[in-house]
Amino acid sequence: MSRPVPVLTASGLVKAHGRTTALRGASIELGAGEILAVTGPSGSGKSTLLHCLAGIVRPDDGSVTYDGRRLEDLPEKRLSELRRTEFGVVFQFGQLIPELTALDNVALPLLLAGTGRAGARERAGEWLERFGVRGQRDLRPGEMSGGQAQRAALARALVTGPRVVFADEPTGALDSLASEQVMTALVHTAREAGTAVLLITHDAQVAAYADREVQLRDGAVAQLGVTA
Amino acid sequence: MSSLRSDLRLAWELTRGSDRGEWWRVALTATGAALATGFALAAVALAALRGSYRVPVAAGLLDEPGTRAGVIVGLLLLLVPVLGFLGQCARIGAVHRDRRLAGLRLAGATPWQVRRIAALETGLACLLGSAVATALSLLLLLRQWDRPTALAWVGIALVAVAVPLLGAAAGALALRRVVASPLGWVRRVGPRDGRGPGLLFLAGVLLVAVVALLTVTTTSTAAPNRPNGEPPLQLMGVVLAVGAGAVWLSGATAKATGRILAARARSAATLIAAERLRDDPWSAARTHAAVLLVTVVGTGFMGIRQVLSDVVRTERNLAESASYYTTGLDLTGAAIVVAFAITLSGLAVGTAESLATRRRGLAAQAAAGVPRTVLGRALLLETALPLAPAVLLAGLGGTAIGTWYALLGDRPVPWAIALVPVAVYAACLLAAATSLPLLRRSLRPGELRYA
Amino acid sequence: MIGMSTRHILLGLLATGPSHGYDLKRRHDERFPQARPLAYGQVYTTLQRLVRDGLAEVEGTDSDGGPERTMYRATEKGTSELARWAAEIAPPAPFVTNEIFAKVVVAILAGGAPAAYLSAQRAAHMERMRELTAVKAAQSADLATVLSADYALNHLDADLRWMNTTAARLATLTAEVDAA
Repeated sequence: MSRPVPVLTASGLVKAHGRTTALRGASIELGAGEILAVTGPSGSGKSTLLHCLAGIVRPDDGSVTYDGRRLEDLPEKRLSELRRTEFGVVFQFGQLIPELTALDNVALPLLLAGTGRAGARERAGEWLERFGVRGQRDLRPGEMSGGQAQRAALARALVTGPRVVFADEPTGALDSLASEQVMTALVHTAREAGTAVLLITHDAQVAAYADREVQLRDGAVAQLGVTA
Repeated sequence: MSSLRSDLRLAWELTRGSDRGEWWRVALTATGAALATGFALAAVALAALRGSYRVPVAAGLLDEPGTRAGVIVGLLLLLVPVLGFLGQCARIGAVHRDRRLAGLRLAGATPWQVRRIAALETGLACLLGSAVATALSLLLLLRQWDRPTALAWVGIALVAVAVPLLGAAAGALALRRVVASPLGWVRRVGPRDGRGPGLLFLAGVLLVAVVALLTVTTTSTAAPNRPNGEPPLQLMGVVLAVGAGAVWLSGATAKATGRILAARARSAATLIAAERLRDDPWSAARTHAAVLLVTVVGTGFMGIRQVLSDVVRTERNLAESASYYTTGLDLTGAAIVVAFAITLSGLAVGTAESLATRRRGLAAQAAAGVPRTVLGRALLLETALPLAPAVLLAGLGGTAIGTWYALLGDRPVPWAIALVPVAVYAACLLAAATSLPLLRRSLRPGELRYA
Repeated sequence: MIGMSTRHILLGLLATGPSHGYDLKRRHDERFPQARPLAYGQVYTTLQRLVRDGLAEVEGTDSDGGPERTMYRATEKGTSELARWAAEIAPPAPFVTNEIFAKVVVAILAGGAPAAYLSAQRAAHMERMRELTAVKAAQSADLATVLSADYALNHLDADLRWMNTTAARLATLTAEVDAA
């Protein structure tokens, strides 16, 4: 089967944290609209790879190209703007601001992009609806269940219509039912919007939602899975 | 005794093995305790004097019981900002420490053991500060005063022992909820209502006020018929009333500002700041209350100073030399400046602590592309928003005191003092801004990795 | 669904009322979406055996405009047998028969490449898991589909985990098998 046009390409990424080397020459390609799972044992460099690809950290060596632009050439300000407008991120926890309601959390990226408060809240409400958590719009993250909070976080990551969503163990703290709801919501919305997803997980049942799987071992890609 | 020793060792091991935040808390708590001890010792040494003396400092201000009482009250009032500062220090690494102590509870420590360990941690830091301050004060005192009276020695010993003991008691008291529900505190870092510590601060202020009043009445007995005995008392009453209101006011304004702005915020920074205020309006109430007190006192003092300087300059027949009066004014001014400096430090510490606690959340925001400038602005707004109405009100109060004093003496009203609150406000923003470099350091992706 | 009793499943389907062979097959395939579809011949022979054992009986014939079909219904004995079976626990893995493990051991004995085999098997498992996940995540999927896919997914996941830990310990296993 033919692979989609790559939207994000990384080659030869090397990154060390102090004395431990997290990435030793990892190369990876994410196609437009593709859902790619990155799996591997703990400490294999999965999160560091995501951080490099999303322009959150700069690799010590190697290159990341997004849409023809080399991320290492961009200043922090442009990277931040890129993350805000063209990328979305979901972590295991911590991405929602604890003091804001679900609705305001989802509206935040729109506010940052210059949308007015009323318009931002209206669109945020629609996205909460899509992820089935509209009823929780006025709750703060601490008042929601883990699955609801993650679905609100997905809404926040997708509300700006990004081209790539980075998800680092988005279901890591959830039971299997909540995990299923979160993953189904993510996959459906991403397919509908044509958003590419880089999904980091250690759970094969979560990785099975992806089109393709890449395994990391000791900071490098171990084996390419079969294209679906 | 052996259980105390094992607790002591545990407290030491826990502090030694902990991160930098804990060391900051110990160091700053010790500093606060040293300041408190210093001020209290000076006050005690002066209070030990009975009748008229020749004291070789401060242009004869300390010779007479009446003025001496004023100085003592001033020194005791300085304890108020120190209390605010200590309260802020106690919050450093508080989440971390609470979890650790709750962990001890889960590991089978009895509530009393946990309380003792916590009390030892705070008490030892206070003991360190108090010991250093006592040693320095004694050296200074023995140079000035050949043979301190027995009363003075008793007072000094009392202060040196009381500071660490009170610190330990406050440390144990602050932990009552951790001790009550170990599970809740291990699992959840919920917003606290913050009223408890606020009440603790208020109780401290009241204690200082009562002691101050007692001092004035007892030391003034040598000259009971002094005609000027009443105005200082009235003035103090006003200051206290305004001060007690200040704690409540700063919390209430923070809450109201948050509520009003959260609904209307148009920018991300304002929204974040407003919701944080609404969520936990009491977190900064102590420091903000100290800011308010300093504003009231500072503004009022500037008015009084202007009026009095005017009197000193124009009146021909003064009882004492002009330097006697100006030294008194300068001393008071210096005390207020010191108080303000301590308050600003407390504010800076509080902002830094609030940042440190939210490290991971902030890193996640930055990773999601929330610009650093927005996060920085939200941080400043958290200080700026609730302080604005509060400082305004405090400034009005202080100006009223100054104006009232001027009208009392039939002198021109010192309008320039209205600038004092503006300066205070600007200084507070600067103090909060000292945390901005820390914000930059907090936004590391490394923070994203751990729970 | 290895070792599942077709007899009892058909008895269960008959519990809702008399039915003929073709209808039983259709309902079976609907109820158990991801199971191996029943062959009509298998349905027919199973029904014969049920009648022979007195668990079911012929109700009559029904042509309904088309070809003539025999209707069956469960007997009282059949109903009680069904209740007994449904309440009986399935023996939890009485014998460990694991084809993957056998292949790994044989590969070591014959000097083959167990690591390469495990890797390829893992990829095949993942592929099947992706198919099943796609089936259950489809918007049209009903709960029965989701649950039966989940059953298979959990088993494949268990295999996969076992393969991951085995792959990580191949060197020790090789030494042990070779020494014996």
